Amino acid sequence: MIKRLIAGGKIFFGLNPPGRRVGVFADDIFLVSYPKSGNTWTRFLVANLVYPEKNPDFSNINDLLPDVLGMSKRDLERAARPRILKSHEYFDPRYPKVVYVVRDPRDVALSEYHFDIKRRAIADDYPLPQFVSRFVHGELNHPYGTWGENVATWLYTRRGDARFLLVRYEDLQTRAMEEMERIASFLGVAADPERLAFAIERSSADRMRELEKKQGHLWSSTRETRLDKPFVRKAKAGGWKAELPGASVAEIESAWGGLMRELGYELAVGNGIHAGMARG
Amino acid sequence: MMKHLIAGIKRGLGLHRPGRSLLILPDDIFLVSFPKSGNTWTRFLLANLIFPETPATFANIHQLIADPQGTNKREFLRIPRPRIVKSHECFDPRYPRVIYIVRDPRDVALSQYHYHRKLEKIADDYSITTFVTRFLAGETCPHGSWGQNVATWLITRKDGDPRFLLLRYEDMVADTPRELEKIAAFLNITASPERIAQTVERSSADRMRKLEQAQSDDCELTKGSRKDLSFVRLAKSGGWRSGLPEAEVARLEDAWGHLMAHLRYELLFPEKAANFDSRFAETILHEASR
Repeated sequence: MIKRLIAGGKIFFGLNPPGRRVGVFADDIFLVSYPKSGNTWTRFLVANLVYPEKNPDFSNINDLLPDVLGMSKRDLERAARPRILKSHEYFDPRYPKVVYVVRDPRDVALSEYHFDIKRRAIADDYPLPQFVSRFVHGELNHPYGTWGENVATWLYTRRGDARFLLVRYEDLQTRAMEEMERIASFLGVAADPERLAFAIERSSADRMRELEKKQGHLWSSTRETRLDKPFVRKAKAGGWKAELPGASVAEIESAWGGLMRELGYELAVGNGIHAGMARG
Repeated sequence: MMKHLIAGIKRGLGLHRPGRSLLILPDDIFLVSFPKSGNTWTRFLLANLIFPETPATFANIHQLIADPQGTNKREFLRIPRPRIVKSHECFDPRYPRVIYIVRDPRDVALSQYHYHRKLEKIADDYSITTFVTRFLAGETCPHGSWGQNVATWLITRKDGDPRFLLLRYEDMVADTPRELEKIAAFLNITASPERIAQTVERSSADRMRKLEQAQSDDCELTKGSRKDLSFVRLAKSGGWRSGLPEAEVARLEDAWGHLMAHLRYELLFPEKAANFDSRFAETILHEASR
């Protein structure tokens, strides 16, 4: 009874984070990605680009680019407009403008595995192949659908739309300046090369690792997680080639091979499109 | 403030409607469609199939087949499990099992145009061209555009997936008992031909029209709307051929021709089945997304 009263009071005063039910304003911009696809890095890049004077770090990133799950409904409604909001949601028709960051699912699976160990969702010795199977079948420790569901629902519905910007994590790694220029122009931020370079430098993996060491306890995504495992891990593309068993690579590619190839991710095994077609 | 207070009291007494905050149970079955695609008819069919002892009406339908926008929390608790829950939402991975009804968007656009007249959202002389523009942009309801709603489900749940049953409204109109048997099999209900026949008869357009006339104000769908226009309209497929100007048909096929062809809807302009995006769409539609 008391629990229900408290819950009711929280709703009444707007103290719960709204998540998927977030109220959307027409001038909102959403920074969307599947979990473990470089969302936090992109958030730092955008924060350093748009609010360089605020000195973005883990202590204020949630005020600058609020997380629909990391802030109360009341605070979200009071955030400065236009808001740039962080989200992991699968397609939501209400999101007006979307920067969607996509990452090779083979690296995403690996990254999620390590993150689930850090946040104690699985044990250190949890078998990786079993984790990948669950990843592919949607038995996940989060509510955002499978990688394929999340990516495909956004891409199919918004591809070619002027209010949708697709950014590949891998491109951000290899040609940060060009990608940041696209992001700046999409956000309507006038940015000279110095300002772009500054934002990139301020969001480097090294600097984020330093910040995480000092501020990990302040940030909702790392608070109360294992301190012996970092949130900012390798921050590299292609880690799956060394760490992911061949059978797991094949499992991912047979599920999403067509979509991966559309996104320019070269398949390691067989011809993914034919495998998908045969099943369909 | 007063509004807040009333909402709070309703919540305390369990009289509020859960809407999107509905707590989903693992055995829930969702009846999903874009609006104006035969969802209410299918709800009647399901109710009459599952609860033959309680013939479905506009007054009791929300207590038999739950509607998060129309069934309040108390009534939700009384609905026998597994619950069947109505929804118009785009893809939601939390829905355990889904019956998805799809209907020819040319008929959907026309049906929604007339429904909005009934609801007095638009005037009788509202331009159909303007309506189709808004329909294409997904601005005529809060559930995405027709293409977005249909595609997000089709690309994530394959036909044959034990969690998903795709039905075409047109097939249901053409042979209701056959499609109803598919539903019964999906729900693990063994239904005799007599029960199927009774279900179809109790959910006929004629019976639903009569019920609507008597119960218009007892149902969330029709409450307070124009009485001179009925909710159960033609209950037919292909009305667009006479009711929708060719230019509007062309625009709908331009946007969704590929998806329509995929769903076996014959195009008035067959060349529109292949547009700038169809190769990509084909890849995604055939991907085994699990």
